[in-house]
Amino acid sequence: MKTLSRLETRRDQLIGVALFLSVWEVAAQLFDKPLLLPPVSAILTALWDLIISGELITALGESIFLLIVGLLVAIVIGFVFGTIIARSKTAYWMLNPYFSALFVTPTIALVPLVLVWFGFGFTGRVLVVVLAAVVPILFSVASGLRDAPGDLIDVARSFGVKGEIPLLFTVRLRAALPVLMAGLRLAAGRAVVGMAVAETYLRLGGIGGLIKSYGAVFRTDYVFASILPLSLLGILLVSGIGRIERRLKWS
Amino acid sequence: MENTHITNSSTGTSAIELSGIRKTFTLSEDKNAQQVLALDGIDLSINQGEFLTIIGPSGCGKTTLLRIMASLILPDEGRVIVEGEAVSEPDIKRAMVFQTFGLFPWKTVLDNVVFPLIVRKYPAQQTREIAIQHIKQVGLEKFQNAYPHQLSGGMQQRVGLARALSTGADILLMDEPFGAIDAQTRELMQEELMRICQEEQKTVVFITHDLNEAVMLADRVLLMSRGPGQVREIISVNLPRPRTEYDVRAHQEFVRVRGHLWRELRNDLIEQRTEEMV
Amino acid sequence: MNLLATFKSRRVYLPILSLLVVLGGWELVGRSINPLLFAPPSSIIAMFGELIASGELLAAAKITMQALFLGYILAVIAGIPMGVLMGAWPRFGDILQPYLYAIFSTPRVVVVPLIIVWFGIGFEARLFLVFFWTAIAISVNTAQGVRNARPDLLEVARSFKVGRYQMARHVLIPGAVPFVISGLRIGAERAIVGVIIGEMFLQIVGLGGIITTASSQLLPAKMLCAVAVIAVLGTIIVTTLDMLEARFQVWRNDSN
Repeated sequence: MKTLSRLETRRDQLIGVALFLSVWEVAAQLFDKPLLLPPVSAILTALWDLIISGELITALGESIFLLIVGLLVAIVIGFVFGTIIARSKTAYWMLNPYFSALFVTPTIALVPLVLVWFGFGFTGRVLVVVLAAVVPILFSVASGLRDAPGDLIDVARSFGVKGEIPLLFTVRLRAALPVLMAGLRLAAGRAVVGMAVAETYLRLGGIGGLIKSYGAVFRTDYVFASILPLSLLGILLVSGIGRIERRLKWS
Repeated sequence: MENTHITNSSTGTSAIELSGIRKTFTLSEDKNAQQVLALDGIDLSINQGEFLTIIGPSGCGKTTLLRIMASLILPDEGRVIVEGEAVSEPDIKRAMVFQTFGLFPWKTVLDNVVFPLIVRKYPAQQTREIAIQHIKQVGLEKFQNAYPHQLSGGMQQRVGLARALSTGADILLMDEPFGAIDAQTRELMQEELMRICQEEQKTVVFITHDLNEAVMLADRVLLMSRGPGQVREIISVNLPRPRTEYDVRAHQEFVRVRGHLWRELRNDLIEQRTEEMV
Repeated sequence: MNLLATFKSRRVYLPILSLLVVLGGWELVGRSINPLLFAPPSSIIAMFGELIASGELLAAAKITMQALFLGYILAVIAGIPMGVLMGAWPRFGDILQPYLYAIFSTPRVVVVPLIIVWFGIGFEARLFLVFFWTAIAISVNTAQGVRNARPDLLEVARSFKVGRYQMARHVLIPGAVPFVISGLRIGAERAIVGVIIGEMFLQIVGLGGIITTASSQLLPAKMLCAVAVIAVLGTIIVTTLDMLEARFQVWRNDSN
């Protein structure tokens, strides 16, 4: 099997995208049912319209704010409980079943409950993002701290680092960093989903609301035009964290 | 002490003959990337039934040379002649034993050993018998149906050896086969390898990092130097066989050869280091 | 041995203890504040009995499973060959990868409006929600498996002069199996979420449908019954595939 260089692969991909978009455009023009398949040009026009009207920027701003707040809360909760279940077996056996259950339950199925219990305000929406994102962070903190490298801890101790908290910062957290970033990457992907769910189910707002309201009036071109930035946001976030993660790996 | 094993350097064709082998590698995938000369003008003749060990500093192209002998890669220049015929593809005359064992994790011991035979479409019953016979030869008859991950490193390499033997190849090409095995198991494996090779009259080319191993096993030791990889010296080891019956390391021939090799190797390493520092 | 026994019992009694504490607390607090809204465990159990007796839960689960399993099976049938193609023909795989990645990273709730205009709100639409994302997960992982054949084993096979067919049968396909199974697991997670989205946002049926209707009726107890069934269903499916995945893990790594 011949391996192509990165450059050649990129070139092929660009040609592929160009080809794909032109075929789409031509097919959509011939087919002429913009409700089902709007031409690429119409989507771009819609995107441009959303940008200059400021609608997109406002929506994106609202979404990103929700995303960041939700992720931060998830990180704090994840760290606290992750540390607890890593340090105490008792806590682990008492708490883990709930986290596992939360992990396997689709966030979407919990949203109506959030609505009933917390309403559709900002708190409710943040909670949805947290529910989606917290478990991967929590599990990565727990496993990162539990699998701390014993030999390096011995090194640190033999050179005079004393006490659990200094050890936590000099060795444990640093050694766990790649695992933590992997957890964060997973969490970020799920957080974007949680954000979209919160914005379409609880109260129309942000980019999710934008998509849903254009869908309700069957403006498929605008639906595509607003899905695009959302996908991009998710991809950039996840691949950005992935990049940091690779840089942190030393083995 | 009588020399019970005679290297038949005088008889007919060589097992393997290399002439003018040259090989360059391109470092990265860029077209204008730098070329590295891995092997430069290797001439070598290996006798039938001979045990040749190859030793040299890391990066001297030992493994490249062995892979060329196996026809896993082709040289840029020069010829490889096996039992009188020029070769450019792997064939049944040569079998390779790999440093990382190269066992298929989804196959049992038996299926791993059978593998080269079914690939050659031998009749099923016959392949099974041959395989079992060689599994016994390496002492693994109780583990026929085990999977590689259930075995220790030493046992895994026994499977690798049995697999190479089952092909019936006259020539075994071994790439640091005991490098990943713990020291005590390694000594046992060395003894067994010598016993089997003597029984079956195999020609062996054996790469190693370990000076003691190189001298202990070999009829001749090939010392390579690097940058580019060349033959620095070939030295005969006149130790009587079977070598399992006395303490080889205490023998003065062993001490002499080992001492000589170490001086050469050490000089090479030091030269290299001063060159790198300049 | 004694230590092991304590440990073993600890992993049994601690979760039970904690469950009792949480459920008890919930019961007390829920009852004293608003039993309808906070659905204490007793009311959930009562509701569960009711839903079973009326056959509503079972009928809903059946509808959910139909779309789930049919969509999943179709995804396996389409995803594996597609992945083999993408792996054996890397250029094709590389060209396709960006689209698959983009689709895979897009939250499905926002694609719902598109699915409505393309497939309506019926069974086909739900099937598509399950099928498409699952097929992507399976094909991407399969392709990775085919492409990431272990170089050391390829060389072993080459040294024994193995032909193309034998190479595929003995080296490439078994080597890809663990990756395919990872794809099956990731795909299953996606499939479950897909079917629930379809039932909550398109035609209100199945377990997802129960959640939506219960939400509009302000019946958290009923919602929680459906959520619990979904969680159990998901756990069974994913755990089974997890165990399968772990079994084939040794195929992946070099065993030394």
